[in-house]
Amino acid sequence: MPQPYVIDKREESLFQVDREVFTSQEIFEKERELIFADAWLYVGHESELPKKNDFRTRDVGGRSIIFNRDRHGDVRVLLNTCLHRGASVCRHPKGNQKIFTCFYHGWAYRNSGELVNVPAGEDYANAPADVYGGLRSPRVENYRGFYFCNFSDSAPDLRTWLGPSAYLFDLATDQSEDGVEVLEGTHNYTLNANWKLLVENSIDGYHAKSVHHTYFEMMMELGQTPPMLGEGTVNGVPPVGLGTEFGNGNVTLIYPGNGLPLATEQVAHNLAELRGKAVERHGEEYASAVFNLARNSVFFPNFFLIDLNFGMIIRTIMPLGPDRTQATSWHVAPRGLSQESLQYRIDNALTFWGPAGLATPDDVEALEQAQRGFSARREVPLSDISKGIGKPRPAANDELQMRAWWRQWNYVMTGEQLPAEVEAFTPFTTREPSRKPQEA
Amino acid sequence: MSTTESQAPAAARPVSGVTLAEVEQFLYAEAALLDDWRLEEWVELFTLDCTYEIPATDVPDSDPGLTWSLIHDRRTMLEQRIIRLKKPEAHAEFPHSQTSRIIGNVRLTDRLEQSLLVEANFLVSRMKAGKFDQYAGRHYYELVPAAEGFLIRRKKSVLAHDRLDPQGKISFVL
Ligand code: FES
Ligand SMILES: [Fe+2]
Repeated sequence: MPQPYVIDKREESLFQVDREVFTSQEIFEKERELIFADAWLYVGHESELPKKNDFRTRDVGGRSIIFNRDRHGDVRVLLNTCLHRGASVCRHPKGNQKIFTCFYHGWAYRNSGELVNVPAGEDYANAPADVYGGLRSPRVENYRGFYFCNFSDSAPDLRTWLGPSAYLFDLATDQSEDGVEVLEGTHNYTLNANWKLLVENSIDGYHAKSVHHTYFEMMMELGQTPPMLGEGTVNGVPPVGLGTEFGNGNVTLIYPGNGLPLATEQVAHNLAELRGKAVERHGEEYASAVFNLARNSVFFPNFFLIDLNFGMIIRTIMPLGPDRTQATSWHVAPRGLSQESLQYRIDNALTFWGPAGLATPDDVEALEQAQRGFSARREVPLSDISKGIGKPRPAANDELQMRAWWRQWNYVMTGEQLPAEVEAFTPFTTREPSRKPQEA
Repeated sequence: MSTTESQAPAAARPVSGVTLAEVEQFLYAEAALLDDWRLEEWVELFTLDCTYEIPATDVPDSDPGLTWSLIHDRRTMLEQRIIRLKKPEAHAEFPHSQTSRIIGNVRLTDRLEQSLLVEANFLVSRMKAGKFDQYAGRHYYELVPAAEGFLIRRKKSVLAHDRLDPQGKISFVL
């Protein structure tokens, strides 16, 4: 490698990335091997499998998997590939099923994985069930109902990997005493740009004013001041927000939450009630972090928790090729909301997010234009990600969060460990989440 | 029922006399407004209590009001959507893409007291910066007869796609 991928010159306050990483087929294949084989990858949320034998099929880390609750009620992740000759054993996006039968030759598996039927099994000298056992599973762990899997045996456990960033899941989940649920409906869309550009974009506070100008104009027209143009400090977080890193490439940017554009009195009342209950459970300071701050977080490499509190979105980003990417997103809501409040949250989130929202298509346009620009990478080889470097407390529209993600990417790809830029911090006291007895 | 018609201030004329040909002409005219980017005129086809909806591709039968849909606009947001689309800073659609839509299989599926339910297939071809995309699906309308033509109380466009690929987005009005 004549040239490093990532150039991190602290003394010159310069951070650059070689544009080759966005275009090279070789790097794309190396990423599939290294980045997605060894990380905790988001699979799904427990609320998506309410009943025994419920399942959903997904692509996680480039592998087809079955995310299911087996007949005993245990949540599992099964690799959706027949032990016989590889065909998918389940081809439906979701359903409720005890047995998965491979359509190719008819091998059948229980939803806990065991191979239970082989047509004409008597023709085998060694019973396939004895030779092969059952469908393979990666490691599976969950934090507060968010399930992740890991294809490596040597990676640390999920809680260790999350480290202090786990509190971001607490803040999201503690909005209701019953936790949160993922709603039906998936935004599933592709773009013609490298996946890392969408990673950057998802935690990029800098582009908001320029790319989403029309969105903010609309907000103002509807009588709402966008948070970054406001002046209030919430829980020690200034209007410009804060960016921070937690190790392992997990990062967040926190900023004062948006108000409630177009909310009815009923919606405002319901939210105040929800907040009041959170104060009773966790105290005022924690409740104010939950309800009055907004957060965009990424858990390395590709899981995003965008917790705007009047609308929460999760998103995964998967590479399909050097210049082709699949984005998938879901909406998360506190359990037990009234229909009106739920609709309000969804509408609010929809106006901005998603492939038909009033903002996301413009993001996609920006990324596709960047990808196009990389055709001149021989003449202009480097991208710059230096904004806010050296600040002890970078703002949400600085680029610390991207640099921290890139340093982890660089570490996994090359083994070169670049030191963290700032110490992990939370602008308020975190707490251990309260557990309901049945979860204890 | 003759009494319901007198209770129907929204409907300027009775639904009973409406013909399928009249509905088809209205849908074709709507399609032409969209292809010509005459969005200010297009939004005036809607009632004040309208919704414009596109469900997520994996739950086409769901209620866009209560699921993570692609679009769930009421009148205010619909107006904002088109105001935005006319600005040069609506980056994904400037310069505007060229679209050509075919509306077909038009069926008048029900006559309610003051409105009509209509279904029609659509195929929208879109060309932008050398890239050609197609969107296929079915429109579901609730139409209120007006003095001339109709007003749209509800338009729900269900894509016959299982994901947004290769189009990747819906940055214009379907
Ligand atoms: S590949 Fe599954 S039974 Fe043969
Ligand atoms: Fe954006």
